[in-house]
Amino acid sequence: MTATPSFPVADLESDDLLGDFPEGRRLAGTRCGDCGQTMIGTRVVCSSCVGQNVARVALPGTGVLYSYTRLHVGGQGVRALGYVDLDGGVRTLADLREGDAGLWPDARVELGVDGDDWFFTPVIQQGDSHD
Amino acid sequence: MTEDAYVISASMIPFGKYRSSSYVGLAVSPLVDALRRAGIQKSDVDAVYVGHSYGGMMTGQRITKEIGLGTVPTVNVDNACSSGATAVHEAATAIAQGLIDVAVVIGVEKLTQFGGGTLPLSPEDREVRQGIVMPAVYAMRATRYLYETDATAEDLALVSVKARRHGALNPYAQFRQEVTVEQVLAARPVADPLTLLMCCPTGDGAAVVVLASARARNRLNAGAAARIAASVLHSGQVEEGFRDMTKPEITYQSARDAYAQAGIEPRDLDMIEFHDAFSIAELVYYEAFGLTEKYTAATLLRDGRTTFGGDVVVNPSGGLLAKGHPVGASGVAQVAEAFWQLTGEAGARQIPGARWAATHVTGGGTAGLDHGACTIHLFEAA
Repeated sequence: MTATPSFPVADLESDDLLGDFPEGRRLAGTRCGDCGQTMIGTRVVCSSCVGQNVARVALPGTGVLYSYTRLHVGGQGVRALGYVDLDGGVRTLADLREGDAGLWPDARVELGVDGDDWFFTPVIQQGDSHD
Repeated sequence: MTEDAYVISASMIPFGKYRSSSYVGLAVSPLVDALRRAGIQKSDVDAVYVGHSYGGMMTGQRITKEIGLGTVPTVNVDNACSSGATAVHEAATAIAQGLIDVAVVIGVEKLTQFGGGTLPLSPEDREVRQGIVMPAVYAMRATRYLYETDATAEDLALVSVKARRHGALNPYAQFRQEVTVEQVLAARPVADPLTLLMCCPTGDGAAVVVLASARARNRLNAGAAARIAASVLHSGQVEEGFRDMTKPEITYQSARDAYAQAGIEPRDLDMIEFHDAFSIAELVYYEAFGLTEKYTAATLLRDGRTTFGGDVVVNPSGGLLAKGHPVGASGVAQVAEAFWQLTGEAGARQIPGARWAATHVTGGGTAGLDHGACTIHLFEAA
């Protein structure tokens, strides 16, 4: 078999997680057309089956806050960061806006967009209670 | 392991801030001392393995040329915080395979070059570009662990109190002052629920160990030694979905493999040096190493079963929290501590009759991985 070159992936041109989709402004994911795995971000190969039949998709804008911290170092004041488990099975690191209700593990959260900034914020529903 | 490998000497500088020292300046004294203590000449050395993350090109060769130790292979190893332990693993593997008889392993790092702040991570990583730093990773692990268990912030503080108490006995430790639970909780917040005293310090350091095969040990007439009963290196496995941050699987799997390799059980260990970069880490690693059931680590700590006089002494050196954590040096420094404990050279912090020791160090914060690397070594007094 004749050797043929591989080519680099211009991943630095598509590294923004926030994108425009028919569903609206959403975080970008990639779904494998062969095994069905969904991954965070724009990817060119499936990390499970190594297939390259992958497509960019909008990830759900809702999920559950797995864990969080308020970061006091880094020169940006106090910054709330967390891992959000999106409906559909993908986890993302996210900035958090906590509002009056604060933050708690397993809180239902939803995506918010403010210009080019995006964040997740707890969804407060009637009857919610937490410590 | 096909052939036994032994640690036959160790040397290190006290970890601290040495702004007037280069990587060479940090490492050359313990290098000379380790050779002298092993009773060997530089001509006895078959290969040199050097762990560092921020030393730049040819860090190992810059160090070894100062004593005219050339010609033989010098391998520079980067696996973040696991760099030094990975260098030990490579040396032990080469001896076990019969490729070489005597290896020098150097772990060295100079973090004061960055002027403070959190550890610089690769900006090519997506989460790093989003603003992740190592304290935030461990803080989120802690938030979830406290949510899932009856452990409290006081337990996180208790880890630091124990580390400082052990470090006070160790002349190599960066911090030798004891602290109270109240002081730890009242310290400046870094990443909730972690305060400054629940985080390892930045600093500089170098540690050197000499490894030898059984035949070289006999030929060189080396004295008391530590046999390497297991040497395990794992890489992180990506998880695109929902990882359980309270169960760091890379350490669970590495520990399982290490016990199998050595043919021992958790209860056989007399001491463990854990990668306690942040206090929550020690709790989850009790569980990962099988010292206790999942979500019961705080009980072990509260009952004093992981300090001197307990079931197993965890971080007799003070660990990363008190001894310090100059990234690439830490894995080799842990092996030095195990060697000294097993050969009765640990001074005021000596564990009486220590026979089995473990060292454990993970490496790297990378999106989608628990950690990038995990290295575990088990040692037996010999």
